[in-house]
Amino acid sequence: MNAEFRTIGKPRPQLEGPAKVSGRAQYTHDLTLPNMLHGAILRSPHPHARIRSVDLSRARAMPGVVAAVCGTDFPDLKYVNAGPAFADRFAMARDKVRFTGEEVAAVAAQTPVQAQVALAAITVDYEILPAVYDVETALTPDAPAIHEKSDLPRNVAQESIADFDGVEQAFGDAAHIFDATFEHGIVAPICLETNGVLADYDTETGDLTLWAPSQAPFFVRKEIAHVMDLPLEKVHAKSVVIGGGFGGKSQSPEPIAIAAFLSITTGRPVKILLNRQEEFLSGKSDHAKKMRVRSAVAADGTILGRHTEFWVDNGAYTHMGPAYISAVRQRTCNLYRVGAAGFDGKLVHTNKVSGGSYRGMGSPQIIWAIETQIDEIAERLGKDKLEYRIEIANRPGDRTPQGWEIGTCALAECLEEAGRRIGWAEKKDAMPPNRGIGFAAMINPSVGVLYAEGNFACVSIDLLEDGRLKVGTQSADCGTSQNTVMGQFVAEELGLDADVIDVLHMDTDETPPDLGSAASRVTFVSGNAAIKTAKSFRAEIASRLASHWDVPADEIDFTDGIASYKDDNARRLTLAEIAALEGPFRVEDRYDIDIPRPDPKTGYGHYAATYGFGAQAVELEVDPATGQVTVHKIVVVQDIGRVINPLALEGQMQGGIVQGIGMALREELVFNDGVPVNASLITYKAPRIQDTPEIDIAFIETDDPTGPYGAKAGGEHSINPTPAAIANALAQATGTRFRKLPIKASDILQATAVKPSPDLKPWKRPYNLEVASARALYPAILYPGLRKLGGKLGRKPAAKTEYDYIRPKNLQEALRALAAQDRKAKVMAGGTDLQVGLRQGVYDADTLVDIADLEELRGIAIAADKVIVGAATTIAEITERDDIRAIHPMLTEGLSRIATAQIRNVATIAGDLSQEKRCWFFRSGAQCYKAGGMTCPCYAVLGDNRHHSILGAGRCAAPCVADAAPILTALDAVVVVAGAGGERRIPMQDFYIWSGKTRVAENEIIRAIEIPRDHVPVSQRFEKVAGWDGDFADASVAVNLSWDGPKLAAARISLGAVAPLPVRATRTEAALLADGLSDTAIEAAAGLTVEGALPLSDNAYKARLLVNLTERAIKNSLPE
Amino acid sequence: MPTHLEVNGQARETENDPAIPLAVYLREELELRGTKIGCGNGECGACTVVMDGRAVCSCLVPLGRTEGRRIETIESLGDLNNLHPIQRKLVERGAFQCGFCTPGIVMSLIALLRRNPRPDDAKIRTALQGNLCRCSGYVKLLEAIGEIVREGLHER
Ligand code: FES
Ligand code: FES
Repeated sequence: MNAEFRTIGKPRPQLEGPAKVSGRAQYTHDLTLPNMLHGAILRSPHPHARIRSVDLSRARAMPGVVAAVCGTDFPDLKYVNAGPAFADRFAMARDKVRFTGEEVAAVAAQTPVQAQVALAAITVDYEILPAVYDVETALTPDAPAIHEKSDLPRNVAQESIADFDGVEQAFGDAAHIFDATFEHGIVAPICLETNGVLADYDTETGDLTLWAPSQAPFFVRKEIAHVMDLPLEKVHAKSVVIGGGFGGKSQSPEPIAIAAFLSITTGRPVKILLNRQEEFLSGKSDHAKKMRVRSAVAADGTILGRHTEFWVDNGAYTHMGPAYISAVRQRTCNLYRVGAAGFDGKLVHTNKVSGGSYRGMGSPQIIWAIETQIDEIAERLGKDKLEYRIEIANRPGDRTPQGWEIGTCALAECLEEAGRRIGWAEKKDAMPPNRGIGFAAMINPSVGVLYAEGNFACVSIDLLEDGRLKVGTQSADCGTSQNTVMGQFVAEELGLDADVIDVLHMDTDETPPDLGSAASRVTFVSGNAAIKTAKSFRAEIASRLASHWDVPADEIDFTDGIASYKDDNARRLTLAEIAALEGPFRVEDRYDIDIPRPDPKTGYGHYAATYGFGAQAVELEVDPATGQVTVHKIVVVQDIGRVINPLALEGQMQGGIVQGIGMALREELVFNDGVPVNASLITYKAPRIQDTPEIDIAFIETDDPTGPYGAKAGGEHSINPTPAAIANALAQATGTRFRKLPIKASDILQATAVKPSPDLKPWKRPYNLEVASARALYPAILYPGLRKLGGKLGRKPAAKTEYDYIRPKNLQEALRALAAQDRKAKVMAGGTDLQVGLRQGVYDADTLVDIADLEELRGIAIAADKVIVGAATTIAEITERDDIRAIHPMLTEGLSRIATAQIRNVATIAGDLSQEKRCWFFRSGAQCYKAGGMTCPCYAVLGDNRHHSILGAGRCAAPCVADAAPILTALDAVVVVAGAGGERRIPMQDFYIWSGKTRVAENEIIRAIEIPRDHVPVSQRFEKVAGWDGDFADASVAVNLSWDGPKLAAARISLGAVAPLPVRATRTEAALLADGLSDTAIEAAAGLTVEGALPLSDNAYKARLLVNLTERAIKNSLPE
Repeated sequence: MPTHLEVNGQARETENDPAIPLAVYLREELELRGTKIGCGNGECGACTVVMDGRAVCSCLVPLGRTEGRRIETIESLGDLNNLHPIQRKLVERGAFQCGFCTPGIVMSLIALLRRNPRPDDAKIRTALQGNLCRCSGYVKLLEAIGEIVREGLHER
């Protein structure tokens, strides 16, 4: 199709590919400078507090420390971010902190560890203030005011209200009114490379040079010059390779100014890298919001008008909030034909981390709300949901009620094609149960001028000595191949092979100004600039050669990299020859989008050169027993103008769609008192490779007259319709509309259960009465009381950054090391939990005794009556053993569900059993009952307790999530423990005292696990449900049946992750033996597992899950 | 007590603190910065190296435990101008974007293909489940690996 092009439309691997794949690419993390210091940041432990004083003196005296600074040391200037009207944040907190994790002080030291250790020596005196964490409460009149001065109502950062005529009338005329409220949480960008910076201030010249993975060096420079009070031309951003952006690296991330100030203070280069937890705590994620969408619809389905109210959680400070508001309001009435538009949006402060930006900027979620309603309209009117969408699709020449003038538009064609590719016509009337197909569409400006600076781009082209070209752009390639695409534009325009072109991005000295990478703007704006510059470059060559050759410039031809005049062989030069003749030279040019900005108050106006469209179709299946969703296929059909680089564009689509799957089904930050408790890549459940479905991509090319070679913007389009299409498919599969994202498996299970909820008979455990009464007292009395008391009397969990490591030669030496009185030693086997837990403050040790390689603890022996597994045998070594599989298939199969390959390769069986509890309050440093002692509360009672116990919880509700625990319990295993006085044997049944707490004493070491074998036929099954494949279980069941011929001789069933201990399901076992194995008998027996359960507020689903899983495990364990 | 190990075929002896993670030793002492750190907690796989033939998270292996062991990092494969055929395939097929996850993915893949030169799709996914990639959606990665397996590229 693109035969007329040289490089446009061809798949071009990214320019930086070889450097990245060989590990040679230089990311910020990899940079060092001579004399460099390492910075670390002290963060507020309080969500809202006044800073009375900061004492840095002890920190300054710590080994290796060169400087320690706090907010009052910084210039008295605030970030300008969304404009001076919104400036509300200093580079470091001065008088007040407004969210947990806010930067309060920083040190620069010789090593990263010294810097970390010195933080603990800083004392901050806080006056704690009442805090508010949700928008609704923040808007109440007596909510604490997070910022003092404002003309707006309390805690409102911005209001955006508009009615472009006719909304009221539309609702008056409507035959049907649809009115629903939708809600979603905060999604984090999760760049694999955390934010970081290397700053180098030259005390002699006053120049500040920055290397930082920023999507917008332009912004960084502007902000840093401002908050450091330096002239703009003294601040220089340099090129680095960027490890992912997705909005997470837009604006100027806080570490940059802090490193800059430390460098100015010390006169030495300073590097700061955020760790993953800091990234969650302080890196700006997306915004949460609530949306009320009301649509007025005529009898024939025409949408007469829509009014949208939305409340956006801004977090503590205004960063991307106003841009977010503007992106959201612009998605309310532009997609599909809508008659009249109105909205009322509020941006509201809370004491949480400030909202930033994330791919799509709120569009995927507003589209989800609208597309849900479109489905519901079609249903009510008895229309086919695809045909209805085609009917109301935007068409070329339309003008939307928000002022967008639609140019090229293939939305209807996109929808039709998506329907064809998913097989809608054939499948719609023959959909098997629990399956569904959903559709959704998107519209995106290409490119919107949200910022005054956003409507232009500059590009430079350097002719180098060897005849190669270097294209310079200040935009930043975060991995999207935009550098490659820029090179393609220049190559195409000049008729060159793309591989003679290098691209330099980001560098503010070497490249001309450009706003940077955001809102999918680079291909379009910077691309147009690249083409324009290439044209100027061609003209420059002509004009230079014209004087050499003494011919008119306009008669000089430049094709295939050769300049020539007519057929004159003497007047023919390659680029290298031109460079030799003229010396290297540079050409710069600038492209402006020549359209008015939209009305800043309402966003009204035709403010983009053109608009991109697309449709997606999703086919998925729900497991009714667990609520888990399998996405089988996603079709995306995109009107993209012209495809410049299909390899890169497909990659953008696929990456965005998979992020959209995460947004739809799993991803959200879970907060407890303003602190994200799932600040890890285990508990924040980003999609992994097992989650990737088949993705079928098609492009409909419309050759947009405004775009570079007809291209429209691309980067965010992919994610925008995905959550909506998934939700609509789920509605078909389950018959339920979900109005909260993410739509978790637990929600699906609860909403769609075919069976009545299991009979829990809580009175069967008398202790439940006491627990239930305590829980009833929690909100008003116990929780506030214990928080206060615990704050005074409780132990504070302390993170350990330094400890000793010893490697004993044998078991005796290891036991002696543990017995030593002068230190707090702890046994480490794989260490996959212990080393992490020390940093989380959930373990306490100053010496780790590494026993992973001790011969006495390793290996597997198969005896006549038992299998003996050395305690330090790795999970992988066990799962790879065919002889074990033949005896106890559940052991190999079950253990292979633990974690990931890398972890199974070092984690040990005894280590799995001995790991600390996984309660996310405990793990995120909450001073809870288990961490702080008797005087502290259990946060699970009132907090998000979806992962906690439903059975047998007492003062602590953390479940036992070690998969080996139920498996080994069902196998009747014995743990052999070595101590100074010899060995003792603990049956698995008695192994645990509580979740994470075993009967192995601190000075003992598990030597082996013995698993009996009976030489009778057995059949076994382990079933587990977890957030992602390898995650910790939400429920698991291990079934071990022994047979006497066709007759069931014995049953051992153990339940995991539903109680603090692995629970033997003795009543179920007895029922199976007594009542047989008919389907109804199994179902009834499975129902007994939850007798005596007492769920918490968010985990009632676990009762249902456990019953279903038990039933499934028993059925799956039966011999053929 | 010094630790003796082999890194990319070269014998090494180090006096560095045996408690530090192998990843830090590789990056800071040996300046082998191809091994990335995305979390430091064994959650993302960016730090994956091959230790005695197995993929491990080098952020969770204490240096002391590498005594007598063989470590292979991304730097043991091709360099910029002489990529390993596996690496070349990943580039050509657009299997990664920002590339921060990529050295770890390559090392997971090497460990997998050494043990099982003809893995099916399920085995490939199992082996890479520990390597988080936020950019690519894994689609082109899976396609590229399919070709690597079919063409037997790791044996070259
Ligand atoms: S850095 Fe080691 S797993 Fe993330
Ligand atoms: S390519 Fe960016 S994380 Fe994989």
